[in-house]
Amino acid sequence: MANLLKTGFSGLRNLFTAGQSVGDAWIDTATAALTPREALIGRVARACQWSALLNAVVALALLLILIVVPTSSGALGGVLLGSYAGPPENAMLLVMIGVTANVTALLLLAVAALAQESWTLPFLAAAAVINIAALLFLGFLPAVIALLPLAYILRLILQDVGAWHANPVSVKELRGRMRGVRAFAIITIFLVLMSTFTVLLYLLQLPSVTGGRTIITGELGRLLFIGVVGIELVLVVFIVPALTAGAISGEREHKTYDLLQTTLLSAPMFLVGKMESALGYILLLLATAIPLQSIAFLFGGVSETEVIIAFIILLVTGLLLGALGLFFSAQTERTLTATVRVYTVAMGLCFGLPLIALLLFQNAFGKAISGLPPLPDASPLVESIVIYADMLLAAINPITAAFYTQQMLIDHQELAILTVQRASDGASIPVIAPWLLTTLLYLLATAFMILLAVRRMRRNAS
Amino acid sequence: MELIIETKDLWKTFGDFQAVRGVSLSVPVGSLYGFVGPNGAGKTTTMRILTTLTRPSSGEARVAGYSVLEDRRAVRRAIGYMPDEFGVYEDLRVWEYLDFFAACYDIPENERKRLIGDLLELVDLSHRREDMVDKLSKGMKQRLSLARTLAHDPQVLILDEPASGLDPRARVEVRELLGELVNMGKTIFFSSHILADVEDICTHIGIIEAGQIIMEGSIDELKRELMETREIIVSVRDHDDAEKIMSLAQNVQDVANVEIITPRSGRFRVRVDFGGDDEGIAALNRVLNDSGVPILGFVEEERDLEHMFMRVTKGLVT
Repeated sequence: MANLLKTGFSGLRNLFTAGQSVGDAWIDTATAALTPREALIGRVARACQWSALLNAVVALALLLILIVVPTSSGALGGVLLGSYAGPPENAMLLVMIGVTANVTALLLLAVAALAQESWTLPFLAAAAVINIAALLFLGFLPAVIALLPLAYILRLILQDVGAWHANPVSVKELRGRMRGVRAFAIITIFLVLMSTFTVLLYLLQLPSVTGGRTIITGELGRLLFIGVVGIELVLVVFIVPALTAGAISGEREHKTYDLLQTTLLSAPMFLVGKMESALGYILLLLATAIPLQSIAFLFGGVSETEVIIAFIILLVTGLLLGALGLFFSAQTERTLTATVRVYTVAMGLCFGLPLIALLLFQNAFGKAISGLPPLPDASPLVESIVIYADMLLAAINPITAAFYTQQMLIDHQELAILTVQRASDGASIPVIAPWLLTTLLYLLATAFMILLAVRRMRRNAS
Repeated sequence: MELIIETKDLWKTFGDFQAVRGVSLSVPVGSLYGFVGPNGAGKTTTMRILTTLTRPSSGEARVAGYSVLEDRRAVRRAIGYMPDEFGVYEDLRVWEYLDFFAACYDIPENERKRLIGDLLELVDLSHRREDMVDKLSKGMKQRLSLARTLAHDPQVLILDEPASGLDPRARVEVRELLGELVNMGKTIFFSSHILADVEDICTHIGIIEAGQIIMEGSIDELKRELMETREIIVSVRDHDDAEKIMSLAQNVQDVANVEIITPRSGRFRVRVDFGGDDEGIAALNRVLNDSGVPILGFVEEERDLEHMFMRVTKGLVT
């Protein structure tokens, strides 16, 4: 058990894989620590992982209670989220979201700590502040099981703050990528294309084109906004995987992979550095397009909330696809194979999934939001299952997540939890806004994918 | 003699192919060790084992006292490795290139600036500090690579073919640099496929052939071992004369072996392996001259290591 505590998740894994010896070229810093500093980094990462596990267990327990004894769970929700004014059955869901958010934050913190990122400490501080605020203003009791580990982790980190610094890989990549005319040219071309598209959308709505039908300015603003965000999504889906799928094979092509392995650079540092440089680039492109998105404000019909949520969805999509690209890159170490795999998953995720969801559930979630019966003559249980299943599927896909969130916003002005009525028996059930689920799921998956990629990298090699 | 690299019976197989077959090396501290062998002899594989990039199929190797199987990170901290191909990052300046690798060794940012200046000065690239890496000549890139291996002040440098593909001038520069580094107290273990390249700068040599060490030791030891006898070439006009010389020489004192070797430039040649001193050679010369056989040349071959090596390994080399 003591050994298990020391090795963290990898020890847990070894329990099941009979402790196979790894023929790796990347060395696990946590188990082969040279200096007190490296030992500390390992300890911090393990503390993060274990506390994430603790929170995950709590979240699962809450889910179990919610499913098994839905009636009394409302009371429990009221206790765990003391100062919440809304309906008690929503309280339980909000608590679960909060705990899951903490799991995500702790896992991301584990990744950051392993990669010795300079944003580890600010990220930890932000998580702590949000938790404290939730505890004080919402009475969010489970914050305690996140805050205690966070305090312990903070104490560890403060022993050697210098261990967390700028990532050499991302610094190098950004230096290379942002130099010369290329970066400038790409941004210019991108903006020219986006502007052309926006102008085109606008021109298409002129009365002379639509055949005399006039359009309300609010509708026009919404159209422009959706158009720009749609293009940005396509951009994210197509560019991010390409940038990260070549992370490892790119170094091989430059004949620098061996060099990096013989340095003391760790696999998490390498992967997160690659991820940061890819995302930094995409963020720059997205930021340059903000003025175009803002044109929608001129026409009205779009609120700031929508702009922010759209940006969050784009960001987490980019994160997940980047992490997937890294994972496949670590898995195959060949650019072509990794690219094909990550595009397959990305296409399936973004464009295949909505079709499947539509075929399976016939827009059940959307109908539920609008107060329409999702299925004709369904029993209450089946109806609930269909609604929740469709909600989950919708949340896994950025496009449907965005549209359903918009629908919830416009129809009910609700951003987090909405109570809908079951058509079969009129009982009200709470549903979660898809963007919230998307953000949580994608961030969780990102952290997992990076940790898996780290594992793959250590295992690969002759 | 303290050893800094020590391997015992290293084997490495890739499927059916045995790249390294029982290599045992001993590299003393502070030596300039030339690891020589033809292409495909297993040099790079051995070096990859020493740098912990490849795990040996069996056997054990220790670098700077650490096992390459168990203390791999400690080994990596102790070594500076230069692969046979220069790793280029386009779009990086010379100082940024060094800065990146220094950062990979966890050297704090405020120390890096001074370190980079020192390293560039050492390899004589201070004037190219702001230039793009891929604009450098091959020799400069090689020197930059050397600077990179020194970033974390390692005890041992493991260099794979540091002089291959360089023009004569760059080759000399790299050699001088290696000498300088040995003077600074580093141990250098480097490979080459040309024995002559290694001979005049190395203190120690190991020769590998088809995955096995043929011979190893300091230059002095090797010379003594390989060159017990001096070699005299006697040139004559025809084969009959050569036969006569051969029978004559065989009876002279201290002559170990006499052999007719391939003619060169129309002259028939007899090689006499002679174990005696200068007096003996003079005596041998007199005997041959007095015999009346017309002798066109009587030359002592220079003690060239590569030449001797070719003789010794004749048959061994596949």
